Amino acid sequence: MSAIQDLPLSAAMRGESAGTEWLFPIVETVHVLTLTIVFGSIAMVDLRLVGLTGRGSSISRLSAETLPWTWTAWVLSAISGSLLFMSKAVTYFGNFEFRMKFIFMGLAALNMLIFHFGAYRLVNQWDTGVPPISARVAGALSIGFWVAVIFFGRWIGFTT
Amino acid sequence: MFRPFADWLATTRLSELFQNQLWIVPTSQSIHIISVCLVFTSAIMIDLRLLGVGVRGRSISQLCGTLVPWMWGGLCVLLLTGAIQTIAEPVRQFVTPAFWAKMVMILIVVAMTSTFVRKVRISAARWDEAGARPANARAFAISSSLLWIMIIVCGRLIGYTWVLYA
Repeated sequence: MSAIQDLPLSAAMRGESAGTEWLFPIVETVHVLTLTIVFGSIAMVDLRLVGLTGRGSSISRLSAETLPWTWTAWVLSAISGSLLFMSKAVTYFGNFEFRMKFIFMGLAALNMLIFHFGAYRLVNQWDTGVPPISARVAGALSIGFWVAVIFFGRWIGFTT
Repeated sequence: MFRPFADWLATTRLSELFQNQLWIVPTSQSIHIISVCLVFTSAIMIDLRLLGVGVRGRSISQLCGTLVPWMWGGLCVLLLTGAIQTIAEPVRQFVTPAFWAKMVMILIVVAMTSTFVRKVRISAARWDEAGARPANARAFAISSSLLWIMIIVCGRLIGYTWVLYA
């Protein structure tokens, strides 16, 4: 971790040389903008699965149309997040909230995989109707996990 | 000129309560960000749909019917959590131009959006058919997206710029 922190790019992220003072705030703003699209687009599909919105509309179509935005935003969020991490790698790595954030992101990924290779394989049977209970649970869990990711993410800034 | 008011607000019992309970501001900010996700994504999805990309499986009136209630609901939560953060740290907010720019842009985009939503409700068919759509639909989509992005940028910048003015 200290090797990461000693990289010239990490020093720039800390604003150590002239002209880099605003790098951290700019990258953090990119992180916030992109994470809103990640969670917002995931929530659109999750809320449809749970049954709170868009009843009667095709889930597979909604999912296909939002997924490219989710992934593009996620990649940008991961890149900007990595840059933020580099600035104080040792501190972040040892931070409780930081670790919890990644545990919940792992749970969200696991939940997505189970859903994708489970209930979603038979999506054409319930595409415009009420999803089976396993799909509704997956939607609710996804919202819960991502809310936890955002909460812990925000708390990192108050505990490091 | 808002500085004396901010200084006074910071000494009120409510502000002191928010300052002393250390979990309140971070929790409020976390809820604020989650609401930003819902409001911003809803706005962007409608704007993209107007530009012909994104969620094309649903018409504009259907998409508005689904997303606009979430937008207004989310905005109410944003107003509430924003008020908590302002009462807790009034000086931080009132001294920086980023805060005032954000407030002005919110007023503009809310006025624009409510006018747009009313028009769509009155004549759904006109908006749903790509050829019949009013000429300013694209202008609305682009300017509303840019305003929301700048609102988020200014929101984030409040935390970094206020020390320059305090």
